[in-house]
Amino acid sequence: MKNKQIDSKNLMFQMYRLMNRIRFFERAAYELYMEGELPGFMHISIGQEATAVGACSALQKEDFMGSTHRGHGDTIAKGVEIGAAMSELFGKRTGACKAKGGSMHISDFSKGILGANGIVAAGVPIATGAALSMKMQKKDHVVLCFFGDGAFASGPVHECLNVSSLWKLPIIYIRQNNQYAESTPKKEYMGVPDIVQWAQSYGMPARRVDGNDVLDVYENVLKAAKFAREGNGPTFIESETYRWYGHNIGDPGLGRPKEEVEQWKKRDPIPKFRKYILDNAIASEEELLQIEKEEENGIQEAIQQAQNAQYPGLNEALENVYSDETLGSMAIRGVR
Amino acid sequence: MSQKETLYREAIRDAQREELIKNPKVFLIGEDLRDPWGGTYNATQNLSTEFGNERVLNTPIAEETIIGSALGAALTGLHPVAELMYFDFVMRAMDAVVNQVAKVRYMSGGQVKVPLTIRTQGGGGKSSAAQHGNSLESWICHVPGIFVVSPSTPYDAKGLLKTAIRMEDPVFFIEHKMLYMTKGMVPDGEYTIPLGKGDIKKKGSDITIIANSRMVLFSIEAAQKLESEGISAEVVDPRSLVPLDEELLFESVHKTHHLVVVNEGVERCGWGAEIVALVQKKCFDDLDAPVERVCARNVPLPFQPDLEKYVLPSVDDIVLAVKQSLGKDN
Repeated sequence: MKNKQIDSKNLMFQMYRLMNRIRFFERAAYELYMEGELPGFMHISIGQEATAVGACSALQKEDFMGSTHRGHGDTIAKGVEIGAAMSELFGKRTGACKAKGGSMHISDFSKGILGANGIVAAGVPIATGAALSMKMQKKDHVVLCFFGDGAFASGPVHECLNVSSLWKLPIIYIRQNNQYAESTPKKEYMGVPDIVQWAQSYGMPARRVDGNDVLDVYENVLKAAKFAREGNGPTFIESETYRWYGHNIGDPGLGRPKEEVEQWKKRDPIPKFRKYILDNAIASEEELLQIEKEEENGIQEAIQQAQNAQYPGLNEALENVYSDETLGSMAIRGVR
Repeated sequence: MSQKETLYREAIRDAQREELIKNPKVFLIGEDLRDPWGGTYNATQNLSTEFGNERVLNTPIAEETIIGSALGAALTGLHPVAELMYFDFVMRAMDAVVNQVAKVRYMSGGQVKVPLTIRTQGGGGKSSAAQHGNSLESWICHVPGIFVVSPSTPYDAKGLLKTAIRMEDPVFFIEHKMLYMTKGMVPDGEYTIPLGKGDIKKKGSDITIIANSRMVLFSIEAAQKLESEGISAEVVDPRSLVPLDEELLFESVHKTHHLVVVNEGVERCGWGAEIVALVQKKCFDDLDAPVERVCARNVPLPFQPDLEKYVLPSVDDIVLAVKQSLGKDN
């Protein structure tokens, strides 16, 4: 862990808390899914917490963030309530999206969360548009745009790097490089090995960070956010990390060398940060245990809350299609 | 209210101009919108000059980013009017239109409103061949979460576009390249036309013809020809395809007992098929004959002008369909 000068103990605590929150949340989600409690598709980001937390912690409350299908960590880091997120996974009426979205679509616009997105690379133009909007409205807010390593091979990312550079938009693009596009390793899908150099060719600063080092991510995003806020335009950050599990729950992650997985597990971002906090006497063992306990309990409460909540009424499937209720009800009627 | 003769493309331009004046949140985004080009069919002429480049954005040729970024802007406080230069180009932005724009409100459990208008123009008639002459309204109508409008006259175009820009739901606004130079009377002052309200473009009693966009003009022409042969056809223009003014259509069929559906897209699985299915269910007892359809033939649009005409619906095709429905085709 790099020796960074971050003076705020509260910030450290909050980041450690969020990393634990995400880890406990996803562990629980994984188990509940395996027990058949949760429907749908689920993509777990365990191992990538430092990128989500480091990046979102560098934002201000009014800043925006767009995420991906693997969005539990990103959205929790940006402030979605775990009760609402867990209820969404259960498909309950109290879910963040009233059970219409599920794991791949968690959003909370009141927290600046533009949404997780089930289509790889599709969130990038939306985040870019939010940055355009901030600039046009002369607002001071920036946008954090997460996407996966696989998305970088997809057209819209390159369209957006071009326009955001052209228009000097206040946005930070973070490639969460967890080394695999679903099951395909980068050597099988990337023709240009040096991503940072490639991104620089769009005329924006680009840097590689240790995606398992929450402080490295934090400091680089903070710098990029300041750069964007001052009207200098976008930054590209390549965050090297690893997902411990397969693409989705149910994918055993075959094809990934066992040693590789083990190697990365040794670089677990949470104990790494824990050690840093203790080594630098930022907090005591007891204080950290307290945070861990609180977060573990918090997840149990969220699960309870979700389990006790009601499912939506069937008629609710027909709500929220359009905001204009009169025209909307005309538009959704059919002969059935 | 005084009125003046106006081109369809001027009506489109004027609607955008008035909304740019009225609401500072409105802005235009698309390819080649700025002067002196002013839009490929001049539907944004003089707007960048009047409102500045900050409100009229020229983009790279990147349709997914045009629509996706317009959505991002709509979700964060602005009211974009995004232009896809040709309807055919929607394919480059289909994920943004279908998976993002149309669904974000629903998937978020109603957290957001989406004040976004997408303008485009489609249709054949200019020998533009198979990649610049598609009529894809059926594709968009198939997507829940977005309204679909396809006006046939300058009056309707202006009134409906102003409404669309003011709405807080996404509206897909389909113009037609062969309509831009058509003329019609448009009031000088402020007016709007609501979605979901059709218009009888010609009254009649023997048969109903329902058509959209340019096909309304063809249907009126067919109805005029038929009049000289003693057949009175009523032309119904739904103006918005989603939502559809079903009552107006059903009332007309109830009166005439015969129906011809005309749309320019290819026949198979088209918008016309939807109308036929609806009418056979809701007006079964009213019908004295099978519903006739006049659509493009099920082939890509050919380049050569005679072949193009042969593939597209024509006035004569509509006349023939009417006679077949009425049993007067021999």
